[in-house]
Amino acid sequence: MRLSISTRYAIWSLRRHLRRTILAVLGIGLGSAICLFIIAFVKGEGMMMLKAAAESGAGHLRVVPARWPEVRENDLRLVDWRDVAQTVRAVKGITLVTPHARTEGLLAFGTRVAGVEILGVDPNTEQDTNRLVREIPEGRYLAAGELGTTVIGRTLAERLDVELDDSLMVTVADRHGEMSSAMLRIVGIAETGSEDLDAIICHVNLEDVESLTGRDGAADLTAMVENPKHLKRMVAQLGDQLSDDYAVVTWEEIMPELASGVKVDETWTRLIVSIVMIVVFLGIMSAQLAAVLERRREFAVLSALGMKSGRMIRIMVAEGIILGLFGSVLGLIFGMPATYYVATHGIDFSSMYGDADLSVSNILFDPVFKGDFGWWLIPLAFELALLATVLSSLYPAWFAIRTDPAAALRVDN
Amino acid sequence: MTNAALITAQDVMKVYDTGRVEVRALRGVTLDVHKGDLLAIVGPSGSGKTTFLNLIGALDVATAGRLNVLDRDVSALSKRQRADLRLHSLGFVFQAYNLVPVLTARENVEFVLELQGVGAQRNKQAMEILEQLGLEEFADRRPNELSGGQQQRVAVARAVASKPQLVLADEPTANLDGENAEILLTMMRRLNKDHGITFVFSTHDPRVVAHARRVVTLVDGRVAKDETKTPVPLSDGSGESKENAPCGTSAPEKPKGRSSWPCGLWFLPV
Repeated sequence: MRLSISTRYAIWSLRRHLRRTILAVLGIGLGSAICLFIIAFVKGEGMMMLKAAAESGAGHLRVVPARWPEVRENDLRLVDWRDVAQTVRAVKGITLVTPHARTEGLLAFGTRVAGVEILGVDPNTEQDTNRLVREIPEGRYLAAGELGTTVIGRTLAERLDVELDDSLMVTVADRHGEMSSAMLRIVGIAETGSEDLDAIICHVNLEDVESLTGRDGAADLTAMVENPKHLKRMVAQLGDQLSDDYAVVTWEEIMPELASGVKVDETWTRLIVSIVMIVVFLGIMSAQLAAVLERRREFAVLSALGMKSGRMIRIMVAEGIILGLFGSVLGLIFGMPATYYVATHGIDFSSMYGDADLSVSNILFDPVFKGDFGWWLIPLAFELALLATVLSSLYPAWFAIRTDPAAALRVDN
Repeated sequence: MTNAALITAQDVMKVYDTGRVEVRALRGVTLDVHKGDLLAIVGPSGSGKTTFLNLIGALDVATAGRLNVLDRDVSALSKRQRADLRLHSLGFVFQAYNLVPVLTARENVEFVLELQGVGAQRNKQAMEILEQLGLEEFADRRPNELSGGQQQRVAVARAVASKPQLVLADEPTANLDGENAEILLTMMRRLNKDHGITFVFSTHDPRVVAHARRVVTLVDGRVAKDETKTPVPLSDGSGESKENAPCGTSAPEKPKGRSSWPCGLWFLPV
C-alpha cells in the first residue's frame, strides 16, 4: 500500500525532531501505563471486594419474598424454596444456590448470655458458598439432618466460655411472639481471622430455625455466579421465570454500602486517570504546538499552494494518531508486566493493616489485593493514548489553519 | 496587447494596521496583466511589490479597489474559494524556494497533484514533470541534498505541476548565482514561450528584468512606470549556460542520459 503524501509528510515531520518525538511517545507511554495499572488494580480490587462480600455469605444475588426489598424483615419466608432453588440452579452462569433463614436470638451457657443472629443453613451447600465457615479449625461443620447442633465463632465461644460438645440454650421469639427455646450442641468453632466476624457466627440447620420460629421455609436463596458481569442478564431471566411472589436482588441492593464504596473507588480512579491523561494531553499539545510554530512557514507555503483547512487538520491529527499508536504500544510494554504481576501476585497490605481487623460490614477481606488482567487492557491502552493525542492535536491544528500565508511568507522575505 | 487580461487591478489599495500605525503598502495600483505576459514588477524595498504579488496570488485581500484574477473578484472570494483558485489556476515560486524539507523533490511535486485530487497516477505524473524539466536525477533527493539553483528549479516544477495559467515568482533569483539564475530564467522563458504560461515576477534583479517583456515600476505603492521591452534573446545553445539550449537542438554538452535538451512540456497546455 502506498501512503499518501500527506501521511508521509506527517510521518517525516515527526521524524525531523526525533528526540522530541521519542520524548512525547515516552510521555504518552508512561501516562498510559500508569492509567492501565491504576484501572486494572482498582478493577481487580472491586472484583475482590465483590468476591469477598459474596463469599462472606451475601452471595451475588438472592431470591427473596416479594415484600423483602421494601421491608427487609427476617420473618418473611419462601415456603417452596426447594422448587425455586431448582429454577435458580437452571439459570446459565449460576454456580451455587443455598437457602438461608435468619432470626435474632439469645445464646446462654450458665450465667453467660450473648445476643446473635442465628443463621439457618443447608449444610450440604453452605460451606461452598461461605468462606467464613469453609474451614473449621476446631470440630467440624454441621451435617445435614443433624438437628440441635450449632457452629459458632471463636470470639462468641470465648464470651460464652464454651467448648466443643457443650450445649447452649437458645431462645428466640416465635411467629406468635412467644419465647421458644432449645438446646444446641456445639459441633464446631469457626475462626475467620476477624474477631468481629467470629463474634457473630452462629450457624444451625435450617430445620432448627423453622422449628424454633415456627416459620416454615427459607428467608432467601443466596446464589453465586460464575461471572458477576452477567448479573443483569441472570436477574432478568429469573424475573421472567419466577412468579410475582418472589423478587431477585443483586449484591448492590443487598449491600448498598459496598456498592457505594465500589462506586467511590471507580470515581477516584476516573479522577486520577483523568488527571494523568490531562497532564499527557497538555504535554503533547505543547509539543505539537511547538512543532506547528516551527513549521509556520511550511504551513504558509502549503496554504499558498492551495491546501485547505481540512487537510491541514488531517495532517496534524495523523501526527497525533502516529504518536498515539506508538505511545499505546509503549504503554502496553511498560504497563503490562506491572499489571500482570499485581494480578498474579497482588500487593500485600497486611503489614499496613497490622493487627487490625480485616472485616468491614460483616465482609472478610483478603489483605493481598490483586489487580485485574486481560485482553481488555490492549484496546484500553489504544483508546487512552489515541484519545489524548488526537484531542491534543486539535488546538495546534486550529493554530495551523489560522496561519496567514501572506504574513508567514512576509516574515521570510 | 491583444490577449485577454488575466489580472485587472483598479485603484488597488492595501493598508496594514499594525495597531500603533497604519502602513499604506499600496496606494492605488491600476494595472492589467495579459495572458502570455512575462512581467517584472520592480521597485525599491517597501514599494509594494510583494504586497501586490500576494494580492494577485489570492494570499491576501485588498483594503480597497478592485482586483480581478482570472475573471474572479478576489476580495469577494471566501478563504476556501481563494485556496481553490491558488490550487487550480496559480503557481508560486518563492525567494527562499520553500520546498517542504522532509519530502523529496518528487514528493514535493506530487503533493500539489495530491491536493488537486490526482489519484494513483500522481507519482508517475510528478516524475514525468521532473523529467521534462531535466530534474529526474534529483527526484529522490530532499531539499537539503540539493543546491539552491536545483531547489528553485524543483520549485518551478512544483509551481507548474498544477497546470496553472499564471505563475507568480517573488524574487526567484535573489539567492542564486549568475549561472543558476540564468538556468532558472531560461526555464521560465521556455515555459512562457512554449506553453503560454503567464509569469509575474517581483524582483530587484536586473537579470530578471533583462528576460522580461514588460516592466512595471512601483514607487511608494503606486505604478510609476509601465513599459514594454524586448527581452534578451533566448540562448540558442552557444550561450553561457547549458540549460539555455533551445528546444530540440543539440547542445555542446547534453545532460547525462538525454538525446536532446528538454523540449515541450507535453503536460502543459500550449
